[in-house]
Amino acid sequence: MMSSPVRVLVVDDSALMRKLIPQILRTDPSIEVVGTAIDGKFGLRKLDELNPQVVTLDLEMPGMSGIEMLKEITRSRRVPVIVVSSHSTQGAAVTLQALALGAFDFVAKPADVSARMPEIAEDLIRKIKAAAQSRGMQIRPLPEMRPQSRNGQAPKLGPSRIVAVGVSTGGPHALQVMLPQLPADFPGSIVVVQHMPEGFTDMFARRLDEMCSIRVKEAQSGDLLLAGRALICPGSRHIKVKRLPLGDVVVLNEEPRVNGHRPSADVLFKSLAEEFGPKGIALLMTGMGEDGAMGMGNVKAAGGLTIAQSEESCVVYGMPKAAIEHGFAQRVVSLDLLSTTLQAQCGPEQKPTADEAKRGAGAGSN
Amino acid sequence: MSRPTDERGAELRQIFFESAQELLESLNHAALKLENQQGDSETVRTIRRIVHTLKGDSAACGFRALTNAAHELEDALAEESAFSHAELAEIAFRAADLFGTMVSSYRRGQEPSPKKVLKNGKSNKAGSRRKAVRPTPASQAAAVRWSEYEQLQAESAVQQGKHVLHVAIQIDPGCAMPIAARQLVLNALAPVGQVLAVRPEAPSPKGDRLLDLLLASGRAAGEVEGKARIPTVVEKVSVRALEIAIHPAPEQGGANTASASQEQSQASYTGISAEHIIRVEATRVDIVLNLVGELIIAKSMLQQAYTELLPQLPKETSRGRFIDALGFHARVLSDLQRSVMKIRMVPVEQLLRRFPRIVRDVARECGKEVELVIHGADTDLDKSLLDVIAEPLTHLVRNAVSHGLESAAERVKSGKSARGRLQLSSYHHGNQVIIEVADDGRGIDPQRVKAKAVEKGLISNEESARLSERETLDLVFKPGLSTAEQITEISGRGVGLDVVKAVLEKLKGSVEIDTALGKGTTFRLQVPLTLAIIKALLFRVGGRLYAIPLNAVAEIARSHERDIHLVENTEVLQLRNSVLPLARLGHRPTAGTGDKKIFVLTIDTGKRKLGLLVDALAGEEELVIKALDDETVSSELVSGASILGDGRVVLIVNLAAIVDRFSTTRPAQAGGALSGLLLTESDRATAAAAGEGR
Repeated sequence: MMSSPVRVLVVDDSALMRKLIPQILRTDPSIEVVGTAIDGKFGLRKLDELNPQVVTLDLEMPGMSGIEMLKEITRSRRVPVIVVSSHSTQGAAVTLQALALGAFDFVAKPADVSARMPEIAEDLIRKIKAAAQSRGMQIRPLPEMRPQSRNGQAPKLGPSRIVAVGVSTGGPHALQVMLPQLPADFPGSIVVVQHMPEGFTDMFARRLDEMCSIRVKEAQSGDLLLAGRALICPGSRHIKVKRLPLGDVVVLNEEPRVNGHRPSADVLFKSLAEEFGPKGIALLMTGMGEDGAMGMGNVKAAGGLTIAQSEESCVVYGMPKAAIEHGFAQRVVSLDLLSTTLQAQCGPEQKPTADEAKRGAGAGSN
Repeated sequence: MSRPTDERGAELRQIFFESAQELLESLNHAALKLENQQGDSETVRTIRRIVHTLKGDSAACGFRALTNAAHELEDALAEESAFSHAELAEIAFRAADLFGTMVSSYRRGQEPSPKKVLKNGKSNKAGSRRKAVRPTPASQAAAVRWSEYEQLQAESAVQQGKHVLHVAIQIDPGCAMPIAARQLVLNALAPVGQVLAVRPEAPSPKGDRLLDLLLASGRAAGEVEGKARIPTVVEKVSVRALEIAIHPAPEQGGANTASASQEQSQASYTGISAEHIIRVEATRVDIVLNLVGELIIAKSMLQQAYTELLPQLPKETSRGRFIDALGFHARVLSDLQRSVMKIRMVPVEQLLRRFPRIVRDVARECGKEVELVIHGADTDLDKSLLDVIAEPLTHLVRNAVSHGLESAAERVKSGKSARGRLQLSSYHHGNQVIIEVADDGRGIDPQRVKAKAVEKGLISNEESARLSERETLDLVFKPGLSTAEQITEISGRGVGLDVVKAVLEKLKGSVEIDTALGKGTTFRLQVPLTLAIIKALLFRVGGRLYAIPLNAVAEIARSHERDIHLVENTEVLQLRNSVLPLARLGHRPTAGTGDKKIFVLTIDTGKRKLGLLVDALAGEEELVIKALDDETVSSELVSGASILGDGRVVLIVNLAAIVDRFSTTRPAQAGGALSGLLLTESDRATAAAAGEGR
């Protein structure tokens, strides 16, 4: 099954990291580090020379920075890039920028790296393997988006439907495609579980808020489900939706990981099914693993609508695939059409029917 | 499995210590740049990147205290930093020092105590501009954030004609049941209103000292307060009306998120530019170098053997091929040697880049303005030399700033610019590297040095009268003189210059002074490009074989004993149109040997010409220097030994020391003393080197 090892290029300006990362990767025989580079310029040269399948990239480098290198890669080459990122406000901002530019995924180095090394190593290895199996960088870089006008539209109480989104690898990019397409008066309320470590979600929410007509914020316990607003679940908390007399809210908790994840899409989807029944829409998007697949089943059983992102528009087709294979996805929609679908389903004339599942088409042409 | 991990950890830490050193130097460099060019946000980014890397690296090594300190600094350097660039530069300097001490304690295997980078409790957090509903600043109450739903509840209560109160309660520290206190308070308030929210949300097992409640009530604030004040349980109560925003608008970030300007950050560290950098321990290179040295000796042996064998070989044998093979072998060997030498070469920049920071600090201490100019930072030098001269050089630089340069007022008075100038230059000169520390300060007054030396009893009055200016200045390097406190104020120099000289001599280098009163002083350090292998000229004195570096020899003259004259107690030789002072390495011959042939090696140290009187020349040779430890050779006149192809031991003469000896001692005595010394030392050293060579 495993033919030859995955060829990896490590780009990092820290001599230590250029030693450490290959050391970590060497523990897995199916990965081979074919080279290291000290900055973007040399990274690009080695990319052409060594033809690796995956690149791990530090963003903060002298000379040609990681971001510039990434832009160059997206322009001319299609090697998936995994960003090795640090925990800091600045680090989060650049990391998200990299993801928007088309980086495959990122691995965060927490402050106590050395103590959590096995965990980080596993994460990195898993992502490298997934990256190698993805069809390279097929995502087009996002157009420069200016904040769209909100026409004085403020989010309102009483959303028409509750849209719960579960997304992992490829999510930052996919959400930055989908959410900005929604108008400020989008009548539904959105809750997003994006697998992302703590410290990145706040920055991610702010970034989306700048790009989108709808409002986006990192969720706090007790935040209201408002029409025209998306709440992003903070890293390392679970999120549930809940009906309350005066309005509907989200509630955060720190219960154990589900499917290896916190937040977990299954937790969100199950609460959606329990609290909102047919009013709920569960959307499972690109990502590794199976998180959310079972929860889609709960939503479907409770009469809600379940949508899976189509294969050709996914960076990693793991989660949607699992839902589809279980027969829990009622619709399969390409990334480009997701926002239209959501608008149609949440709009005033909406009538959740069992139309023939609309097959996503036209995506992935580049 | 734990052992390999330990080894891996040790290896990582080693890499960390090396790169941390470079990072800290870059940090100092960038901080300095920032101080001089405030408003250069590119430099701030550079600093941040350096700190970032340091943080990541230290985290990977598990150095928590350092990671945290670096993290703190990195936050302070964020785009929306609350600090001015001048403050940031200062912080970066301090941080570099702090990180430095932390790194060295990790290096010693100790855990440094956690330290704060930012002393003034100034937080960098961009003021959170939240429009959230919030009571007017009440003690700690400002910290409480009510959730959107709670605000919605409050709003709805107001619409029902109630008012919403924020009740802040401090539990009595003497309260015997802090866990129950929470419930007691809630019970007490139940009759007067509806509790919408409590912070902390859940009771903690230890009991909470502070409680914040959101109460919808029809009663007056005073009444609520009275209810809440439970004797012996509640110490303090404050009740305020909550200002209600009409709609719970989600807070607006607006333009305060980090901008996308990140992508333009690409300033470069100075120094890191090579594509492939391999870090190896210096000792590994030394081992290779040593082996190359042995190979060169082996080559000599081979050639020697061949020469001896030659006459016995019949002509038609493969002699030609043998000669070719030897030639090829020699050529490859010399390439190999050069390549290995190059591995050890590093630019002097590695050494010089620490000086801007040092000069800045010392100048600040003394309240002086100093402009530092660095030339020739790309000059290559053997890495091991670099490490050793770092300290003497630092010494000279500090001295130059603190003593060599005058205060601004003094400078202006003597018609100079207020800003002192210090120039560090480095260049190659033959097989030597010269590093100069030149200031444009007050210079050294030879008269005062003389007076001091006489006073200290280092020289007699009589001697002092005879000393040339150069000889006088060399007195500065005398231990007796230099450690004297007073010399500092007299000459502006003197602290530990003897140490500087000692270090350089140990390296087979030298140090010289050039000075002009009122105009400035230049210290010139001269060190061999490398320590290991030299091209040498071999000669004989008193039947023994010696060597001196070939590049030091300017000319070789042949003469006779009778051509040597005694002028003012110094032996001299008339060479063409000039008179060359001579240093006799052997014993002076007895009378009647005027016909004896002699050789004079003219040594030109740049400042001084000197003829070395030797008995015979013995050819040129590439010598691999074997260091002799201090116990074997107590004289600095011999700097090392080497073994020739035929197994003979040759002593390498320390030219700098001989020239020095010649200029400080009266030449007449010097000749004898020198030769005597050299000869006795030779015996011991020869024995030792031969013993080692076998």
